[in-house]
Amino acid sequence: MQEPEFRAVDPRRRFLLWFAPPLAVFVAGLVVLLVTGHVTGPFRSTTVVRVMLASKREFFQDEQVKQILMARGYQVHVTPVGSRDLAESPDLDSYHFVFPSGHVANERVKARREGKHAVPFRPFFTPVVLATFREHAEALRRAGAAVAHDNNAAPLFYDLDLDKFMALSEQRWSDLGLSNNNLVVAQSPDPCKAYSGAALVGFYAAALRDEPVQSLREAEELGLLVKPHIAAQGQAGEDMSPKFFVPEGRTHAVIAVMYEHQYIAYQLRREQPDRDRVLLYPTAQHQSTPELISFTPEGDRIGELMMNDPQLRRRAVELGFHPLGWSGETDQDFGRVITEHGLPQPPVGQAGRVPLPKAEFFERMLDVVGDCR
Amino acid sequence: MRVVAAVLLLVLTACTSSSPPPVRLRVLASPELVDLAPVLAELRRATGVELAVEHRGTVEASRSLAGFDLAWLSSNRFLRLRGAEPALSASIMTSPVVLGVRPGRRAVLGERPTWADVADRAAVGEFRYGMADPRVSGGGMAALIGVATAAAGTGAALRPEDVSCDRLQGFLAGRAFDVPDPVAELVRRSSDDTVDGVVAHESELLALNASGRLPEPLELVYPRDGIVLSDYPLMLVDPARRTAYDRVVDWLRSPPAQRMIAERTWRRPVDPAAPRDRRLTADIGTALYFPDRQEVLDRLLVFHDRAGEGRQVVFVLDYSTSMRGERITALREAFASLTGFDRFYVGETVTIVRFAGTVLEERSVTVRGRADLDALLAVVASDDLRDNTAIWGALDHALRLARGETAVVLMTDGENNAGPSVDEFLRVGRGEVPVYPIRFGEADRAELDRVAQASGGRLVDAGTTSLPQAVREIRGCR
Repeated sequence: MQEPEFRAVDPRRRFLLWFAPPLAVFVAGLVVLLVTGHVTGPFRSTTVVRVMLASKREFFQDEQVKQILMARGYQVHVTPVGSRDLAESPDLDSYHFVFPSGHVANERVKARREGKHAVPFRPFFTPVVLATFREHAEALRRAGAAVAHDNNAAPLFYDLDLDKFMALSEQRWSDLGLSNNNLVVAQSPDPCKAYSGAALVGFYAAALRDEPVQSLREAEELGLLVKPHIAAQGQAGEDMSPKFFVPEGRTHAVIAVMYEHQYIAYQLRREQPDRDRVLLYPTAQHQSTPELISFTPEGDRIGELMMNDPQLRRRAVELGFHPLGWSGETDQDFGRVITEHGLPQPPVGQAGRVPLPKAEFFERMLDVVGDCR
Repeated sequence: MRVVAAVLLLVLTACTSSSPPPVRLRVLASPELVDLAPVLAELRRATGVELAVEHRGTVEASRSLAGFDLAWLSSNRFLRLRGAEPALSASIMTSPVVLGVRPGRRAVLGERPTWADVADRAAVGEFRYGMADPRVSGGGMAALIGVATAAAGTGAALRPEDVSCDRLQGFLAGRAFDVPDPVAELVRRSSDDTVDGVVAHESELLALNASGRLPEPLELVYPRDGIVLSDYPLMLVDPARRTAYDRVVDWLRSPPAQRMIAERTWRRPVDPAAPRDRRLTADIGTALYFPDRQEVLDRLLVFHDRAGEGRQVVFVLDYSTSMRGERITALREAFASLTGFDRFYVGETVTIVRFAGTVLEERSVTVRGRADLDALLAVVASDDLRDNTAIWGALDHALRLARGETAVVLMTDGENNAGPSVDEFLRVGRGEVPVYPIRFGEADRAELDRVAQASGGRLVDAGTTSLPQAVREIRGCR
């Protein structure tokens, strides 16, 4: 029997009785922090991964994504840059991975990494869309250029007939019944720099001509036809999405070219859908399948996590992306999350796909349209 | 056990005491950002980053960011025009460029004026305002672009060929002062009732109203079109300061900082979720498409610098009998319809020379207000038509009246049949005064064109374009 020992007034034991509960709280808290990725303990080292990103920075700058990656031992240090600048960046090789938004930049990056480590991952996709406000979408509908896609009394998604939309470009919004004397044109980021701006050029080019151009001369000629539609907006802005969603969004742009995920993420953050802001989907789409191109084993690891990690993939859906499997198949999570939030299914993938011209021709067209370089 | 506890405590302190070392960054900022002092003090407490700020007007600052770690200007658009925009740039807050108007003078501008309406009132001396120098300040430049875009009326971004000086002259004629800090100047002149308002950022005007420094708060007028919204991007100039820059941007975009910016500086937060005062929810109207060429801004400044008193326009009008009927009516209508800022503007001297076989009447007015314009219309209304047409004699007379920067507009429908011939007229050196003949009826196209070309002016054919349109074109200056 060891009973007496319990009765003894032992100062060490008294200290422990006082100390144990707070200690337990400390330890429990630390464990929680370590597991959720708020801090890294001495037990695991954190690898800092340097990346260069275009619009997809919104994924890696998300607090929850940061925590999930931290819990896996990675801290991603983001340098934001437009896709085209990314592909031409002189210090490309100093990054662990890059994540341009579109195919031209993807090809350019791979060409520059010829013979070196360059592993592509395609974890998700998101289409380029034209975001606008209800009254502008309705004005376009009355003018015959847009058709509501969902059956709601206040639809969020419209199909946009680009031929008819481009035909309106010499009219003012006031001609369509709104109090705004500006020309009816879309505003986009600089096509010289950003993929979404370049994509708009691609949309217009496809609307003007059914077959993709086959030569530099054809690319230049088509570029000159597209140019007035892009030039009317004057100086192009940067990424349009953050400003579009503030209360003075109309004063930034009434039609802003952006990615669907930026809009969906905004809607999913809200308790009730914002029915004032809507999307126009060009009837002929080409989808942006951003590629994470890894240059190092650390980059490969992030790519694999993006493809496999259930938490990261769930978060990607919450941030508005359509996740893709290893063989490019879409999964059902996107539709489920959208529906749960009371949003209709966007018309992605239902319309015809437009082939973009070969990178070389497309780049020349962009140079003509945007007076690049 | 105690050892374990001590180790754990050490680990925990190691985790929590990782606050970054203090950093000092040199920042070039727009002058109106002096009001950020309390926000920057809080930034320093929260992040350890001290911003040592030097203030310089946005347009001036955009010429060179050399020597600074960061730049925080009302806009990066001026840098982008020069191809000098730093790669990293994050918008922190916004504020539109608007008009602050004394309540007693508010009615002059009408219900929801456009920039064109403002220029119109300014041109006839009914609205006098202060603004910042557009060669230095983003706010001043924004106002010029707004007026010029509204005047061009293309619904698209301004091109160099859209910038016409008279339209700007009309607006600038109403400028009472042109100083680096127009809001402070307005306060200094609060008892001077010849100043009706000021062009400035919404934030500066709301702060002024809240400060009680004016006997009566200003009314804010948001021009219906052509709004320029400053978005205050914080830009990384020296890439080596990236880590500290990221800390500053993260903090400034955090909800508490966004709230503080809205509450203390009256700027609109960029975080859609940030709460805002009722006054920061006013609808701010349609933006203008911002020009994409530096040349446009340069041209605006050329015309801006030319503004001022001493300009003169001489109209030489044919009152020969062949003008009777439709033609003289068209001429009068053209004058009457010179509305808005295509009209004459305050400070300008307008001379009308009526002629037939000789000079019939000459009247000069230096425009101070509407009454002067009515006097001019009375001259044009004359029914005193006479025989013969001495075009070159009348033009010679007009050119002798020219003082300083002058343009001459000649309207005629007939052939010269009195006084000197065109050859005799051209034999004499005529200096720098451009002549803009407006031809209608049987006037000799070749002769008029010769004189226009020789003087540096241009022939306008009233047959191919409407007369008011022709006059407006000419008023577009050279």
